[in-house]
Amino acid sequence: MSDQKTPRKSALGEVKGHIDALATGFKYFVDPHRMTLDYPAEAMELPKNYRGFFRLIDEKCIGCSLCEIVCPSNAIVMMQLPVAQPPAPKAGAQGSQQAGAQPAPRPAPRVKKRPLVDWGMCIFCYFCVDVCPTEAFEPSNIHDLSYFEESEYRPTFEGFLKLPESPSRNSRKVVARLDEKNGIRYEEKGDKE
Amino acid sequence: MMTFLYFIPNSWLPLLESAFYALIFPGFVAILLLAFFIIWFERKAAARVQMRYGPLWVSKRTGGIIQLLADMIRFSFQEFIVPQGADFIPFVFLPGLLLAFSVLPTVFIPIGPDYSHIFPSSYTLLLAVAFTLVIPVYLVVLGWAADNKFSFIGALREAYLLISYEVPFILAVASAFLLYGTLDLVKIVGIQESTLPGIILNPIAAIVYIIAVIRATGRVPYDIVEADSELVFGPYTEYSSLMFGFVMGVPYIELYSYSLLFSVLFLSGWAPVTGIGFLGGLILPGIVTFVKAVIVMCFLVFLRAVYPRYKLDKAVRAGWSWVFYLALISLLLSAFVSRVLW
Repeated sequence: MSDQKTPRKSALGEVKGHIDALATGFKYFVDPHRMTLDYPAEAMELPKNYRGFFRLIDEKCIGCSLCEIVCPSNAIVMMQLPVAQPPAPKAGAQGSQQAGAQPAPRPAPRVKKRPLVDWGMCIFCYFCVDVCPTEAFEPSNIHDLSYFEESEYRPTFEGFLKLPESPSRNSRKVVARLDEKNGIRYEEKGDKE
Repeated sequence: MMTFLYFIPNSWLPLLESAFYALIFPGFVAILLLAFFIIWFERKAAARVQMRYGPLWVSKRTGGIIQLLADMIRFSFQEFIVPQGADFIPFVFLPGLLLAFSVLPTVFIPIGPDYSHIFPSSYTLLLAVAFTLVIPVYLVVLGWAADNKFSFIGALREAYLLISYEVPFILAVASAFLLYGTLDLVKIVGIQESTLPGIILNPIAAIVYIIAVIRATGRVPYDIVEADSELVFGPYTEYSSLMFGFVMGVPYIELYSYSLLFSVLFLSGWAPVTGIGFLGGLILPGIVTFVKAVIVMCFLVFLRAVYPRYKLDKAVRAGWSWVFYLALISLLLSAFVSRVLW
């Protein structure tokens, strides 16, 4: 212990150090340089290709399960959803089937497979969006969500068909700029560089 | 005195004054409001210095001043859990006792020149200091009773620091006694009024007193006992619900009693304002004393924004070395000044 040498100040130097620290603190107390964002009131303007929540376009999806296979965090599960009953074949066609030797056509599937994302597990890597052969995912740059109840959070197919509403959708959009004095400064979106 | 209360018999008036003193100002209501203010100020001041906003969204127009009220409502709806191994009676009853003992010193601290007929005693300084010194003992018991390693370590740290900083504290108070030559706080303020405030007569005693108060109330840099990044909440770790609210309030109320004593001992109390009667002898001077105490409190909680935490061994070493030496020097200085002045 005793052979370790720490730089020692004189007693006056120590006192001066305390006074300097208090003065610095007081300076920032009087004139604060806030770096954080007053979030729900103002929010950062995000780039267009920011990887946020995405929605499913039901008409484009072919239920190929590629997104489920590629998902690294197993956030996507393929759901089997019932489809409306296909129109019954006509009576004449039935007769011709019985007459001919052709095999019966396969009945239309009763279920369709559609992906469902658990946002609690999603890491927003966008592998699924990239891999989709029919571009059935519509991306957006919304990255914040909030719910009042747990039941609202539960992923549902209907909820996945539309983009979620961001809590900061109506807030003032700002852009972060580097500032020599303050560190970070937030400007209105329209301001000049 | 209190002519507006014409329907009350004269013999009741002293009792009413005492009740007002205990319940409204500077007692219960004032302490409650001040605790709200000071915790809000602590959070906001630290946030301003650390480039943040601090509490903001509970009543945004006032800058989140009722955040603590929201917290208290949340605490009061939580379940109070007693750990299985805990010593039931101390664990449950000590928070209330702590709260009571942290308020108790304010009974003996006068806020106006006319205080002596509410609590007629000439040993008020001794009584106030004696009752502030009871609290750490309860803290140690409380940390032991919770049956939790964090509580236990917190209690041990409290015991270490208690021994190292109580001596300088008592020496600082003793040097104030030596300086004024009396234990009656009303007379002490009178002496300061006729000469100079105690902080000018003996600045070293004031500094030692402030350091000991920072230690006793667990403010940064001496928040070694609670140390929320090492021991979850020190001796208070196991508390939940309203009891947590109690134990969270205890250091602030302690801070209030110590600051009130500081403003009377060293800042000449109600100095520019004097008078007699209920309004002129208690309320108006009381407001001056109170404001001085609040300023001292604001300074003490502001330190959170500036300092990091002391290490336990360094704090103990400092308590037995330079704080102790300063306390001894302040005794000598008091002896010298009192010899020169009167």
